[in-house]
Amino acid sequence: MASRTVSRPVLRKRAVTALLYAALVLFAVWVLFPFWFLVNSSFMTPAEAVAVPPHWIPEEPTLGNYSAILAGQVAPGGAQVGLRVLTALGESLAVGILTVVANLALGGTAAYSMSRYKYRGSRLSYFAVLFARLVPPIAIVAAFFVALRDLGLINSRYGLVVVYISFTLPITILVLKNYFDGLPRELDEAALVDGASRLQALWYVIRPIARPGFIAAACLVFLESWGEFFYALTLTNQLTIPPVLAGFRGFFQFNWTTLAAATVLAVVPPVLLALVFQRYVVRGLAQGVAK
Amino acid sequence: MSDRQFGLVLALPAIISLVLVVGIPGIQTLIYSFQRVPLSDDPATFVGTDNYGKVLGDESFVESLVVTLQYTAGYVLLATVLGLLFALLLDQPLRGRGIARALLIIPWATPVIIAGVMWKWLIDPQVGGLNAVLFEIGVIEDYKPFLADREWALVFTILAAAWHQASFSALLFLASLQTLPNEIVEAARVDGATAWQRFRGVVFPWIRPMLLVVVVINVIYGVLQFDTVWVMTQGGPGDATTLLPILLYRQLFIFSDIGAGSALAVMLGVVAVLVSSIALILLGRDDPLAA
Repeated sequence: MASRTVSRPVLRKRAVTALLYAALVLFAVWVLFPFWFLVNSSFMTPAEAVAVPPHWIPEEPTLGNYSAILAGQVAPGGAQVGLRVLTALGESLAVGILTVVANLALGGTAAYSMSRYKYRGSRLSYFAVLFARLVPPIAIVAAFFVALRDLGLINSRYGLVVVYISFTLPITILVLKNYFDGLPRELDEAALVDGASRLQALWYVIRPIARPGFIAAACLVFLESWGEFFYALTLTNQLTIPPVLAGFRGFFQFNWTTLAAATVLAVVPPVLLALVFQRYVVRGLAQGVAK
Repeated sequence: MSDRQFGLVLALPAIISLVLVVGIPGIQTLIYSFQRVPLSDDPATFVGTDNYGKVLGDESFVESLVVTLQYTAGYVLLATVLGLLFALLLDQPLRGRGIARALLIIPWATPVIIAGVMWKWLIDPQVGGLNAVLFEIGVIEDYKPFLADREWALVFTILAAAWHQASFSALLFLASLQTLPNEIVEAARVDGATAWQRFRGVVFPWIRPMLLVVVVINVIYGVLQFDTVWVMTQGGPGDATTLLPILLYRQLFIFSDIGAGSALAVMLGVVAVLVSSIALILLGRDDPLAA
């Protein structure tokens, strides 16, 4: 019987492959371990969460944390944790959707113009967009704070949407301009030859074809808006979910397990959105952010 | 309406919006930085460069600057190197690569503030899982309250933010790697180049423009990091994690010193815009995603 001899290069190749798969496992642990801990805690009773050594699977899984939030229950310590979490999730959703709609309307037309038309100052307006993209939100918060305070718009959903347009609109314009640039001009021209107006060409010809670009921009803007913390902290009284989550600080003030459930509810929408529209989002990210 | 007018009309709503929500707040912040701004709506008084002197002359500024530089160095290194490793790994023809690429999106889609919440409780000595893991494998002898320790607090606020950002870097690197024509790598392989030689001679030069983009973005996000620090330590223990944005928050919203806060904001904003403008110029026509 011939012994199975394996040549050196083959052995080496196998070792490399094994190492790569080991690295892949480490990568998965890096991504999933914090989530494992979070989700695990959210199904535990407060007593089980402090067990030593910790339980990696709840021994007595409970939906109590979720039902407390969904029922808007009063948490130990007197704070109406549940109610605040639900309201804040709703506000985050409202702010996100309004910000996306405003972005697509304002950014869509501007990006199309910058992709197709020249006018006096068209280059300047493109540079203005690039410049606006570079201004960090934290650098202009003082002006927003004073303005919203004087207008009585602190803690207003619409005030927050207006502020969010400042850092999302440049992203939308850059992503969409990039997308329009990739669409052949013959499309618009054919529509115009067929008797469509310029506006009709945009609405009936370009808008449907550019759907992937719009989806990418909408996802990016929604993610930015959903996770935005600094403005929500300083310009509202815990209106949206990020400052609510960050507000639970002391260990004795509330149960970590309830916060875990609230955090799961807050992280599922953006993660789901990114996974469902993965292809669009990654493309938009690479082309809108990197360029 | 001429084409020029039409283009202008299409772009105008977005341009006006950007002027209103970026331009005017930016200029207003600049003006505040030279004023003493009262809490009521009494008129502000001009105080020259007093606010800048106040900020720069404060020893907490120098301390904060040092902490910010340390934080940024760790954050950029971790987020960039891990991102590059992840991208190189997920560019290999491995089984499960599709799932791994979906996993890669998750930390990026997780808002930074939520990454902070997860890591804060993950490393908590009472409910956290990390202490138990480190204890089991013998790295630590006692459960440690990491965030009560000056150095560990800095390490973990960096780690939480880099957990999110490494995915962002990896997504951009991966986008760049995917535009690298396979024939070039194959040709190098046929010529007998080792894996390291292929990386140095072919892959690295290809992704270098993207590396510059990623490093610049990470530097800016590092210098402007607020979310993870705020939720995990609020700048503490002591001033161990008081980054410049935390200092800015205190000036504006704890000490209600709009003038000094604005001076610091202007300095941070100018640094951010300068760093990215220089990068844009360096990059020139060197498109990081050129096919």
